[in-house]
This record gives sequence, structure tokens and C-alpha cells, in this order.
Amino acid sequence: MDILQALLNGFGVALAPVNLLLVFLGCLVGTLIGVLPGIGPISGVALLVPLTFALKLPPESALILLAGIYYGAMYGGSTTSILLNIPGETSSVVTAIDGHKLAKQGKAGPALAMAAWASFIAGTLSVLGLMTLGPLLAQWAIRFGPAEYFALMVFGFSTLSALAGKNLFKALAATGFGLMLATVGQDPQSGIARYTFGVMQLEDGMDFLVVAIGLFAVSEVLVLLEEKAPGAVQAQVGRIYLSLRDFLTSLATILRSSVMGFLIGILPGAGASIASFVAYTTEKRILGPKGRLGEGDLRGVAAPESANNAAAGGALIPLLTLGLPGSGTTAIMLGALMNLGVTPGPQMFQTHPQVVWGLIASMYVGNAVLLLLNLPLVGLFVRLLSVPAWFLIPAVLAISFVGVYAVNNNPFDLLLMAVFGLIGYLMRKLDFPLAPVLLGLVLGYLMEINLRRAMTISSGDVGYLFSSPIAIALWLLAGLSLLSPLLIARLGRRRLGDEEL
Amino acid sequence: MTDRVVGFFLLLLATGYALEAARMEVSFFTDPLGPRPFPYIIAALMGLSSLWLIAKPDPEPAWPPRRFWLVLGLVLLSLVAYAHLVVPLGFVVATTLEMTLLSRLFGARLGAGFLSALAFSLGVYLLFTEVLGVGLPVGRLFG
Repeated sequence: MDILQALLNGFGVALAPVNLLLVFLGCLVGTLIGVLPGIGPISGVALLVPLTFALKLPPESALILLAGIYYGAMYGGSTTSILLNIPGETSSVVTAIDGHKLAKQGKAGPALAMAAWASFIAGTLSVLGLMTLGPLLAQWAIRFGPAEYFALMVFGFSTLSALAGKNLFKALAATGFGLMLATVGQDPQSGIARYTFGVMQLEDGMDFLVVAIGLFAVSEVLVLLEEKAPGAVQAQVGRIYLSLRDFLTSLATILRSSVMGFLIGILPGAGASIASFVAYTTEKRILGPKGRLGEGDLRGVAAPESANNAAAGGALIPLLTLGLPGSGTTAIMLGALMNLGVTPGPQMFQTHPQVVWGLIASMYVGNAVLLLLNLPLVGLFVRLLSVPAWFLIPAVLAISFVGVYAVNNNPFDLLLMAVFGLIGYLMRKLDFPLAPVLLGLVLGYLMEINLRRAMTISSGDVGYLFSSPIAIALWLLAGLSLLSPLLIARLGRRRLGDEEL
Repeated sequence: MTDRVVGFFLLLLATGYALEAARMEVSFFTDPLGPRPFPYIIAALMGLSSLWLIAKPDPEPAWPPRRFWLVLGLVLLSLVAYAHLVVPLGFVVATTLEMTLLSRLFGARLGAGFLSALAFSLGVYLLFTEVLGVGLPVGRLFG
């Protein structure tokens, strides 16, 4: 009953006119970002955070907008995958395999409709999961002390490093770099300046938005400059419909992939791209010769599209209940919330119920909005692709300038942004994952403060970090996840190796 | 080879970072841990990863043709110039110039690039300052 009452209150928040408008805006912008190749959900969210600050939105409204962009982008990414074989996002790469084959067979309409319905069902199921699992996990995590929190963050970083990117040690170095950035500025306890090298503007630390926009948006522009983004394209969209028979044959796939995507989404570092890939390969194995996955099967669209949307919902669980973001996008949401005076974590369900439940309720609304928005408007979104790159990409850069400048009204931040743009470009070229940098920067402060609190409690005894069963379990899990790439390489290559893709 | 060079620089970074932590002056009134150990842990993590990169580098990345480095340098230079010029010139003028340069690099004709850059910068400026109330530099000429 508690949950229902809380959800009702949440709908009270989500249905307020301003928030309703923001859900709609978030879904619309998210879909646009999803459709446009070259600008990812992380850049999109990072670019809109300064706007939410400037408009002085309350935390719940800001989060509703940012989350809308996040799951909206999951919808949008499928459109260009299907029609043009150009995935708008990495999470829709798998969708292109069957989706584009269907389009070539003249079945673009059913494929697009399937993507929309699968996303809708998965999105709604994942909100249900978030609603039931979230409070339970929060109740359990409320007993966490500083030692458990420190271990939890180590666990978060090690799974992220193990799963993000091809080379574990590059991911660890990226994590280290992010943590280094987090220590720039005043020491959280004694107040002395660290790593500022006398530069006054660094006293307050590195602003995570400046780093995020430089690292993701600006470096994306630089990469596109090198690749000479493809010229404008046009695509034909047929009538968008889905027959009941097609829907029913795919239903089992949608449900299975939703559950899988949701569970993978909860894991730090996994997330939408891995979820869509795993769901697709699993369906391929389950359906066996009955399915024609890889040759243009609607279930080949349904599996990745339901998995990536469910993962977006699952990814919010560790963020809301533990304050532990598992991806670049959720790290930006965490940073934004902290700037607005809300520290995500188990207490949030009690101290800021309007933020948590408002978000959850808004996601029910958002999923319906996306379905209504997408089915009739696909043609319009696709026409956006005929906007030439020479206009679109400089425009993204101009928006980045506004975003960075609006944070502190300080041109020095624009310099920092350029530096991080170059760093981001080089990191992309060298296969260093970018998300760990952002996560390190956002979590570094909390990590250090929890470590120091723990040491204050134990008056310097390091053993205290390993003194509770929960902490020990988290340390073990962290160690296991660091070993997992090696284990997967040993076992997985043999089994997955012959599987194409 | 590239990874080895990167690993070497990261090792330098880790060492410098740790040395800087050691140089910090710590007052007596602080928590048992103080401001140094957390940076030491990070430096160790970074140092270990960089040693691994030196020992086991990945295959060479696909570097862009040499001409691209000139383009990249030009864009970065323009970003630095933008940071210095946005306040004196104002958002609209500086952003129009930057966008025009980029649109040329993406293959637009000068006229089309300039006009669309001007229209977009002006539109963004008006939207943010007039409608949304976000302050952007107006420029000495117009202020």
C-alpha cells in the first residue's frame, strides 16, 4: 500500500503542467538525439544540464527532463538503424542487423512499429521493476556506513572498468584520471588547496559539466571532422503498422529481453549496448532454427529494442538507491542532482520522495508519450537527417559553448572545455573508455570522504574497511569483476567465438 | 608503440601526481588520514595501469592522415581564441566566426556557412537571453 500511495504522490508531481511539459520536451529532444548519428545521449544530457540550472528547475523537474532524454534516445536510435543501417546510438547497432534487412524487404513499417511497441512494453516493465526493487534495495542499503560505501564505490569502479572498453588497464587508467580530476581543488576536510598550481579558477575544483561537454560533445565533433560526416541522406518510410499475429509471435521475445535488459542495466558498467547485444544473441540461441534472426526477423528488432529500453530503467536503480551511477549518462544525472542539493542514495526515498516517485511516475507518462510521438512522427524525424552535417555539427558546438559558459559565466571554462575536447579525441582514438573518467570525477569526492570518515571512526585502522559482512562481500565482488574479463576471454571465446557478431 | 608512449606519459603523470601530494603541507588539526593517502592510492592505480600498457601495448590505432592534424590544430586554436574573444566580441560575433570556420571544414560554401551561422547564433542568443533568462556576453561593441 505504501508503494501505491507513494506512486500516487509521484503522479501528482509528474502531472503538474511544468513537469508534463518537461517529460514531453525530454522525450522529443531524446528522440532527436537518438535519430541524429554523431550526437549521443551523454552529450545530449550534458548539454541540457546547464539549462536546467539556469532555469532554476527544482531537482525533480530537472531529473524528469534528463531521464526523458536518456530513454528517449533509446527509442530514437532504432529509427535510423532500421531505415538506413546507420545506428543513431551504440545501443541500436544490433537492431540494424535484422531491422535494415526488413527495410530492404519492404517491411520498414512493421519493423519501426515493432521497435516502438517493444520499447514501450520494455520501458513500462522496467519502471515497474524500478518501483518494486528500488525501495527494497534502498531499505537494505540504508544501513551502509562509510566502510560499506567505500567498498561499494570500489565495486562500481571495478565492474565499470571490467565492462567498459576492450582493455581493462586502459579503463583503469581512465578511472584513475577521473579520480585525479576529482582531487583538484579544496581538500574536503582540511580545506587546503590541492593540485591547483596557483590557478585561482581551479580552487573550486573541476566542474563536471565542463569536463563532460569537452570530453563527449567536443571530442565527438573532432571525430566527425576526421571522418568527414556522411552527407545528408533521405529515406522512405512506408505505412507504420504491426499485425496482431506478428506482435503475438514476438511477445515472448519482448518479455524475455525486457527482463534480461533490466537485470543487465542494474549492473554498473553494463548498460544499454551490452544489454541489446546479449538479448539478441540469447534470442538467437533460444529460437534456434525456428527463428530467422539475421535474415530479417521482427524478433531480431524486438529483442535489442526491448533490452536497451529496459536497461535504461534498470540503470536508474543503483543511481537512485545507492547513489552509484553505472554509466556516463547516469553519472551526469548524479552530478546534476548533487549540484541541486540532493545526494542520491538510500535516504533519498525518505528525504526527497517527490524526486524519486516523481521520476518514476513521469517515466510511465514518458513511455506513453514516446509511443504516441514516434508512430505518427517517424517520417518527420527521418527528414531531419537531410539537414546537412556542415550546419548540424557546428550547431552542436555552439550549444556546447552556451552550456559551458552558462555553468559559471566564466570564459576560463571554455579553455578547459577545449583541453578536454582534445583529451577526449585522443582517448577515443586510443580505445580508452570515456565514461570512467566522468564517473571518477563525480564519485571521487564521495569516495575520499567516505574513506576518511571510516578512518576517523576506526582512528586509522585499515582493517575497519573489511570488518562487516556487506563490505567483505563487496570487496570480493569487486575482485571478481576485475578477474572476469580474463575468465570471459578464456571461456567465452570458445563458445561465443564462432557466433557471428 | 603508441600505447608504450602513452603508458610512459601516464607513468610520469602518476609520479608527478604522487610527488605533488607528498609536497602538500598538512596542518596538525586534520583527520587521521589527511589529504595525502587518497592521491597515493590513485597514483598507484594509475602507475600500475601504465606499467601494464608499457608491457602489453595494444596494436597500433588507425591514425588519421597527416593533413588532419593541421585541421585539428586549427580547430583547437580557434577554440582557444574563442575562449579569449567571446567576452570582448560578444557571443553572437564570436560564435558566428567559429561556426563559419567549422562549416567550411565540413564542406559548406562560405556564403551559406556564414549566413546559417549568423542566423543560428543570433537565434540561440535571443532564445537564451530573452526567453530563458540565461546571461551570455553581449560584447564591448554592443554593450
